[in-house]
Amino acid sequence: MKRLLGVALGVLTAIGGFVDIGDLVTNAVVGSRFGLSLVWVVGVGVLGICLFANMSGRVAAASGRATFEVIRERLGPRAGLANLSASFLINLMTVTAEIGGVALALQLASSVHYLLWIPVAALAVWLVVWRVKFSIMENVTGLLGLTLIVFAVALFLLKPDWGNLAGQALAPAVPAEETAPTYWYYAIALFGAAMTPYEVFFFSSGAVEEGWSIKDLVQSRINVLVGFPLGGLLSVAIAGCAAVVLLPAGIAVTSLSQVILPVAEGAGKVGLAFVLVGLVAATFGAALETTLSSGYTLAQFFGWSWGKFRRPAQAARFHLAMIICLFIGLAVLVTGVDPVLVTEYSVVFSAIALPLTYLPILIVANDPQYMGQHVNGRPVNVLAMVYLVIILAASLAAIPLMIVTGAGS
Amino acid sequence: MKRGHALTPVPAVPGRLLDAQLHLLDRQVIDNDGVPVTTVDDLELSGPALETELAPGTAAPVLTALLTGPVLGTRIFGGRPPSSRLIRIPWADVSEVGVVLKLGVSGEHLDAGWVERWIRDKIIARIPGGRHDPR
Repeated sequence: MKRLLGVALGVLTAIGGFVDIGDLVTNAVVGSRFGLSLVWVVGVGVLGICLFANMSGRVAAASGRATFEVIRERLGPRAGLANLSASFLINLMTVTAEIGGVALALQLASSVHYLLWIPVAALAVWLVVWRVKFSIMENVTGLLGLTLIVFAVALFLLKPDWGNLAGQALAPAVPAEETAPTYWYYAIALFGAAMTPYEVFFFSSGAVEEGWSIKDLVQSRINVLVGFPLGGLLSVAIAGCAAVVLLPAGIAVTSLSQVILPVAEGAGKVGLAFVLVGLVAATFGAALETTLSSGYTLAQFFGWSWGKFRRPAQAARFHLAMIICLFIGLAVLVTGVDPVLVTEYSVVFSAIALPLTYLPILIVANDPQYMGQHVNGRPVNVLAMVYLVIILAASLAAIPLMIVTGAGS
Repeated sequence: MKRGHALTPVPAVPGRLLDAQLHLLDRQVIDNDGVPVTTVDDLELSGPALETELAPGTAAPVLTALLTGPVLGTRIFGGRPPSSRLIRIPWADVSEVGVVLKLGVSGEHLDAGWVERWIRDKIIARIPGGRHDPR
């Protein structure tokens, strides 16, 4: 019974923890401009994140080594540093976007301007990172994030023309008022939002934090293989809501209030209350994960002591690095830059950096010295190679498409 | 295939064969309590200086220490820091070589840990809650 509860808890937190500001904004933007014609990308992205999150979890459980230690060891200091610089900067951008997202969500709930909420949000993130136990942090934000299911409820209450929606999803076509490069630019953005590298850094480091062994792998596999796809369905529901309400009205999403507009229309005040809780929980949870990831990547590259299972004094550089990152995010946000815009860029840059993270994991997951008998099976390797090609194509196409489309405008 | 062109085989040595690049460099170093100390940024070998003529019968160089500190920068960007700037962990302190290198001593008194200790004592431990377990 206790084991079953553990599995249920893990799956629920995986669903709630899947959606972050990147998924929220990108799915709503895409839904409001392209309907459901890009839903297939969410599917591709979710399968990819399942594959690689599972692999990095297995590496961590079998060898006790988290992703960035592996990256440094395999790529050496030079390529490793280049990788660290790229991953770290993109992660910092995501930290900024998530804290901005928390502040925007709190603004929607309170009508107090978001710039006033930013220091509060950053301080709250730091306090949790400083004092709260890893498992409590994971479970609370994950479970509260589940309230985002209200997007799915709202979609049903909106009574859409299901045949039309299914048609958009199953026979994808570029809408008449959009161009093909814009379509593919947003395809890459959605892919980047679903596969953000920080999720892998966080997942593998979390496995070390919680002291996983090979025995725990079954549970982690269930969490990933059930939780992430359901989280992906949540993403689709966000896009679906936007497609039903915003697309016909000709509203292209540029702010968080437009993201939740369809919920207010479909599920009324109660729905709005739920979605606000969900927004705060999802962005706050992701802000924690990205802040920790910035500490994890630095500490693992340089070999510092790290982890929330230690007292802050026993992982001093790790904690100092995270404090500095939060200050940088804060400094960027108080310039008044639009957090939604930061988010839109961060998902595309994530897509560009994807090969840097996923190739070393794939190599080590095949290394018997690390993995013993738990090396990748052939089907996993075949699938991973296919994904590597997709990831590489997305990464190479991202910048040209960004220039051609003027970042999707 | 002519036998004369074959490379001379690796001489048989007692014990385990380690490849510096594959098994030592850029591996995590942990102390006897399992606390991470550093990553192996470079290695120090004993023996004759570079580009000196070797007399026949000179003993092979021996691994003397794991290096960390500024040597990481020079390994990435080129050059070599003066010997006084190297932070050494004597090879004699290494107790086990696996996916990580384990030390047989506590990291608390190693030179390699001074930045960590300085940041701990001057900054992190002074912030309230810094010395307590997370709840």
